[in-house]
Amino acid sequence: MSDATLRMSEVTKRYGTGATEVTAVRGVSLAIEPGEVVLIMGPSGSGKTTLLLMLGALLRPTEGTIHLNGERISDLSEGRLPGIRLHEFGFIFQDFNLLSALTALENVALVASLAGRKNGEARRKAQDLLSQLGLEARLHFLPEKLSGGEKQRVAIARALVNDPAILFADEPTANLDSKIGRDIMRLLRSIAKEQGRSVVIVSHDQRIKDIADRVLWLEDGEFKEMTTMAVDPVCGMSVVKEGAAATLEQYGVLYHFCSRGCRAEFLNELMD
Amino acid sequence: MMRLAVRNLFQNRMRLLISVGGVALALMLILSLDAIVSWIEQRVAAYIEASGADVWVSQEGVRNLHMASSSLPADRVDEVAAVPGVESVTPILYVTNVVAMGEERAIAYIIGLPEGAQAGGPWNLVAGEVDPGPEGAVIDQGIAEKSGIGLGDHVEILGRAFEVVGLSGGTSTFTNSIAFIRGQDFSDLRANPGVVSFVLVRVEGGASATEVATRIEAEVEGVTAQTREAFAAQERQVVRDMSTDLLTIMNSVGFLIGLAVMGLTVYTSTLLRRGEHGVLKALGAQNRDLYLSVGLQALVSVGLGLAVGLAFTLLLGAVVPRLVSNLGLRVSLPSVGKAAIASVVFAVAAALLPIRQIHRLDPAMVFRGK
Amino acid sequence: MLVAHRNLTKEKTRLALSIGGVALAIMLVLILDGFQVGMYQQITSYLEHSPGSVVVAQDGVSNLLGATSLLPPGATSRVQEIEGVAKAVPILSQFVILDLHGKKQPAYLVGYSPELGGGPWEIVEGRQPRTDEEMVFDRVLARRHEIGVGDEVKVIDRTYRIVGLSSGTTSWMTSFFFLRKSAVEDLFRAPGATSFLLVEVQEGKSSEAVRDRISGLQGVEALLKSAMEANDSRLFARFFSAPVRLMAGIAFLIGVLVVGLVIYTATVERQREYGVLKALGARNRVLYGVVVVQAFWAALAGAALGILLAQGARLAIMSARPQFLIILEADMAGRAIVIGLGMGLLAALAPARAVAGLAPAEVFRR
Repeated sequence: MSDATLRMSEVTKRYGTGATEVTAVRGVSLAIEPGEVVLIMGPSGSGKTTLLLMLGALLRPTEGTIHLNGERISDLSEGRLPGIRLHEFGFIFQDFNLLSALTALENVALVASLAGRKNGEARRKAQDLLSQLGLEARLHFLPEKLSGGEKQRVAIARALVNDPAILFADEPTANLDSKIGRDIMRLLRSIAKEQGRSVVIVSHDQRIKDIADRVLWLEDGEFKEMTTMAVDPVCGMSVVKEGAAATLEQYGVLYHFCSRGCRAEFLNELMD
Repeated sequence: MMRLAVRNLFQNRMRLLISVGGVALALMLILSLDAIVSWIEQRVAAYIEASGADVWVSQEGVRNLHMASSSLPADRVDEVAAVPGVESVTPILYVTNVVAMGEERAIAYIIGLPEGAQAGGPWNLVAGEVDPGPEGAVIDQGIAEKSGIGLGDHVEILGRAFEVVGLSGGTSTFTNSIAFIRGQDFSDLRANPGVVSFVLVRVEGGASATEVATRIEAEVEGVTAQTREAFAAQERQVVRDMSTDLLTIMNSVGFLIGLAVMGLTVYTSTLLRRGEHGVLKALGAQNRDLYLSVGLQALVSVGLGLAVGLAFTLLLGAVVPRLVSNLGLRVSLPSVGKAAIASVVFAVAAALLPIRQIHRLDPAMVFRGK
Repeated sequence: MLVAHRNLTKEKTRLALSIGGVALAIMLVLILDGFQVGMYQQITSYLEHSPGSVVVAQDGVSNLLGATSLLPPGATSRVQEIEGVAKAVPILSQFVILDLHGKKQPAYLVGYSPELGGGPWEIVEGRQPRTDEEMVFDRVLARRHEIGVGDEVKVIDRTYRIVGLSSGTTSWMTSFFFLRKSAVEDLFRAPGATSFLLVEVQEGKSSEAVRDRISGLQGVEALLKSAMEANDSRLFARFFSAPVRLMAGIAFLIGVLVVGLVIYTATVERQREYGVLKALGARNRVLYGVVVVQAFWAALAGAALGILLAQGARLAIMSARPQFLIILEADMAGRAIVIGLGMGLLAALAPARAVAGLAPAEVFRR
């Protein structure tokens, strides 16, 4: 594993031209250290996805540069990018995105063989990883036969099989129940700490804050301060204090809500 | 990649069935027509090859049996017999005519055999006598069965009643059969004494049939002499020349259809796998990895289609003769080779279609929600 | 049905390929059929255009193009004496194999007397034969082998010079060509021989009656010309029907498969949408309807294109190989549509079942 730093400098992404031009990301700078767990949060449309795409070498910035381990990847030719993704990055998705026709073992082994490993070796590596993640009994199951948590663990094994420097996770816990989600979160943290890999997570899930080293708030394409954030007690959404849609003071505590509906519900709860 | 290709292919049974089925059917168009023609070709020469003659002597310029007629003056027979290397000669009379069995009329090649014929008679006797004898006839067993005729019954040939004294096998083709009567009866009925149709020659042991044939042509006036193989080849040639254009047309159509079906199924299945292809690309797979997967799928589909098409054609070969009288299929190696090549072309062409689709696929779409 | 229409047209390439596949299948069926019809016309062409309404053949022979017929000696004069016979035109005919440029070409030789008739009915170039060394050759066959008036052709062991080219005398299996009857007698070493008599019946007399009277004669058989034409057609039908039906059957199955694929794929892809419709309360019947309509549209479009392709193929084949006659009959459009609809119906079966089996709950599973 290379001692990688992923560095984003003054990166901007604009879509469209002229009247329909949209700036998804404005002059964002970000450095990610080895072994770090970074959580990126923000409202929908804040540019989180665009940011993730650029970090993951799936999208080119309009302005600015991205360096991986000192090498400028934002300028690389299209042909070199898949190689970078294959060897340096690991991806984990909200929808798991396992190949439906392959078993758990085959899903992981495939990515290893894409990176050049021979079939036997790829399968062994895959088996090791899956076993480490507690899936020895599920090696030959098709995704449709796996639970959500199991699928995500297969996805994580797949992401790790080529020894990547960085893992990117897009809403990894969104389709999992809370207990399983927490397990996955802890798993991601242990991967970062024990294996020295960077983990970048994009999520709405408040609980991930617990395992993150750094929490970044992206709004309107820029990083904003987290300190002015509050959590809506009813729905768990992060709310900007100053711009909260509704607030309520109760027993000396100021609550911020994402909407009047949540506040109304909160009041109802209090009444009971 | 092979594993992915195979797994993807078999994941959807219906689509697999359609692509394999389509290719199989298209190939069957090619294979079965080829096989029918090939069978006819073979049957057409059957009599000549089984006749027992090494050399066939005919009227000069006549190189065929079917759809031809040959007349030689009877004195040529002795002239041929005198040629060195000739062991025996059997003059036969031949005409395409009708065997009437009750109400049924069957077109048949009537062969008039001399007494004690050394060649030219039935080669696969199923029942009764080989020698028709005076006022007797040996007719094809299949034809007889179809009309409910058996040994001892009477049929009408060249206007006279003959008693069926023998039933032969292998003497029928698609449209007609062979019936054997005595040469004497033949010439009585057909007038024209002093004329024979063909002279069947057996050469002496150790002599070369080709040489004897050449000698006969040189020494006897107004005849054409061909070895058995050459004569049989000429017969097959007629069938082949007649059917070339037809085969070309049908083969072309079958080919086009195979292309269309394969193209359609590969294109469709790639389209439906868009999401998974996007994921693979995001994970770092190259375009060529995906082309390989799609290409392998196409190859396997087509391979299966070829196997199924071939199997069904062979099956037809077993079934058709039972259902349709006097028709069969004979699958030849060149035909299979042709089908195999066509299959490869199907696979390659089909795999080329989705290249643009795959190339254009933006892996970023995986993150944007479907 | 808007849903059906939208579903189909969304994927242009796929739609094009599928319609193309169906069209090819239907084209094949139509061409095969047209080929058969054309062939029957070619086969019966000679009798159609020959004189008379009754044909006299050797006893037992009821085809022109099947067995070799040889009438007993004196038959001609005996037939001419029969009541009701206006004229009896004798011909001496036989299949021969011509060797043209190394290709074997079966041909039907007709020996006739130009004064009496029974020869070529349309000479497009040149004239009838005046001597025993002259022949009239089929125009299409001549063109295929690049020979023409003035060239010589070897028949068995004699050579004849072409003095005329005839039209309407061709077929892909065999063409007709003509010599004087005396020349043919000489060729076959059969002086005075006659194969058939083409009998013209007197004005007002019944052809059937004449036929029956002639049949009473020894050693001959008389048929209505139309009956003999039918026999020839039947003979060739026996020859071709099995392979043609096999090909047509295969073509039909292909069409079913292709339509089936498109519909099935469209259905599977849209599973969610169908599930939504179901959840919203659409009955199975409605969803069947959507599937079936899609199948019909694809099949109909394919049929329409198939008809066009058949016309095109017909022209292409006939100009490249003029010995083939393909006749696409007027009711072809109707038949193509029926075939297409048949394909569509069969093809819709599996997808319709899949749709019926969908659980609306699918929609809510995330």
